[in-house]
Amino acid sequence: MGSPPFFYRWSTTFSPWLALLAVIVFSAGLFWGIGFAPTDYKQGDVYRIIYIHVPSAILAESIYVLMAVCGFISMVWRAKIAGMLITSAAPIGAGFTLIALVTGSIWGQFTWGTWWVWDARLTSTLILFFLYSAIIGLHSSIENKAKADRAVSILAVLGVVIVPIIKKSVDWWQTLHQSSTFTLTSSPSMSPDMYQPLFVCVLGFSFLFIFMLTNSLRGEIIFRERDKLWVKNQFFGQER
Amino acid sequence: MNDRNNTLDWFMLVMRRDLILSFRRSATYLTPLIFFLIVVTFFPLALGPSQSLLSSLAAGIIWISALLSSLLAVEGIFSEDYQDGTMDQYFISTEPVFVLIFAKVLCHWLVCGAPIILASIISSLFLYLPSGVLFALIESLLMGTFFMSLLGALGAALALGRSAILSAIIVLPFSIPTLLMGTAIMTAAINQQDYSGFLSIMGAMLAIGIPGLCLLTVEAIKLNYE
Repeated sequence: MGSPPFFYRWSTTFSPWLALLAVIVFSAGLFWGIGFAPTDYKQGDVYRIIYIHVPSAILAESIYVLMAVCGFISMVWRAKIAGMLITSAAPIGAGFTLIALVTGSIWGQFTWGTWWVWDARLTSTLILFFLYSAIIGLHSSIENKAKADRAVSILAVLGVVIVPIIKKSVDWWQTLHQSSTFTLTSSPSMSPDMYQPLFVCVLGFSFLFIFMLTNSLRGEIIFRERDKLWVKNQFFGQER
Repeated sequence: MNDRNNTLDWFMLVMRRDLILSFRRSATYLTPLIFFLIVVTFFPLALGPSQSLLSSLAAGIIWISALLSSLLAVEGIFSEDYQDGTMDQYFISTEPVFVLIFAKVLCHWLVCGAPIILASIISSLFLYLPSGVLFALIESLLMGTFFMSLLGALGAALALGRSAILSAIIVLPFSIPTLLMGTAIMTAAINQQDYSGFLSIMGAMLAIGIPGLCLLTVEAIKLNYE
């Protein structure tokens, strides 16, 4: 797994299946959630934005943790692919964070009557977005990409202290945003008709993320190793 | 030179050198101070001179200004040493480099952070900070500005030779926990509650931050030698 050529060849066979799986689960979750889940008795149909909002928010945080783990691996073992993974994951993570913020803001307008509240959870998600931006900005400012990977992994490791703060903030300074509905230890406080599609949506979004990450990592690998022999053999093998 | 072979001596050596260099050039300690006072002055100009409004905002204004000025001050901490080769000597010295980096940051904080804290006492009069919370302000700023110097050093190391705004963008999101703790201390002090808990959390952050951030800073500087 650690070697770029191996990952590239392995993912060539793996990636189409992943795409199929992602499309099926993703669209099944959304169809189920938006088309068939029961209407909420208080919020009406507006609540259906949850099927986009919650999976994006979960991914926004998880991707950051993934990046921090990769940052640690790249700092300690100097694994090349871990650094590339951070580079590929950062824009995707920033995108999911932005989706979570925008959908949350629309949802807030309909239920709370305001686009934005300086609530701990909203604020910390905004900060998470800034962290992603800092990582993307630092990476793009360093010309040597291998060096940029290592600089960014330092930042990713440092930023992991902020994710527990986000997770805990709801319990510490609860204001307007509700506490997490999903926990591993107890059953959800939603009705099963509503959380089952939500669970499928979370899975679908995660598969989609893994597919996007694989694809962008493949591109990154080819770009970085463009001078290596295996890349030349891969693409121009017949001509030689 | 046989007496210069333990780490503490090296630590003192770096401290002394940096202190002398800073005091030979008044810009190093005056610039952050004046920047702080200018930023503080801008708030009444923008918000209007209403005494009750400024009094309720004073703690936050002082904290933000202190954060920004200690961040901007630390921005160039390594660039000169890196250019003239002093940094190379740190890495050749066989001493643990993060101790030397810590000496640099500590010295920098003594030279830049302490004047800012003094200036914050003056600006608490400008902004009608409620009386009786001045001690809490000084306590929280003492730790807060030091933590900012450590964070800013990491940002400066990562953005070595690049624009100052990049280093600010890197560091500012990470400084939010410090800002939150600082303002929590001030709010508690103004409401005459016990703020020792927040102070302890801040101390804990500093205790983890000193070794942790110095080690990461060394990693970041090393990147420039590859």
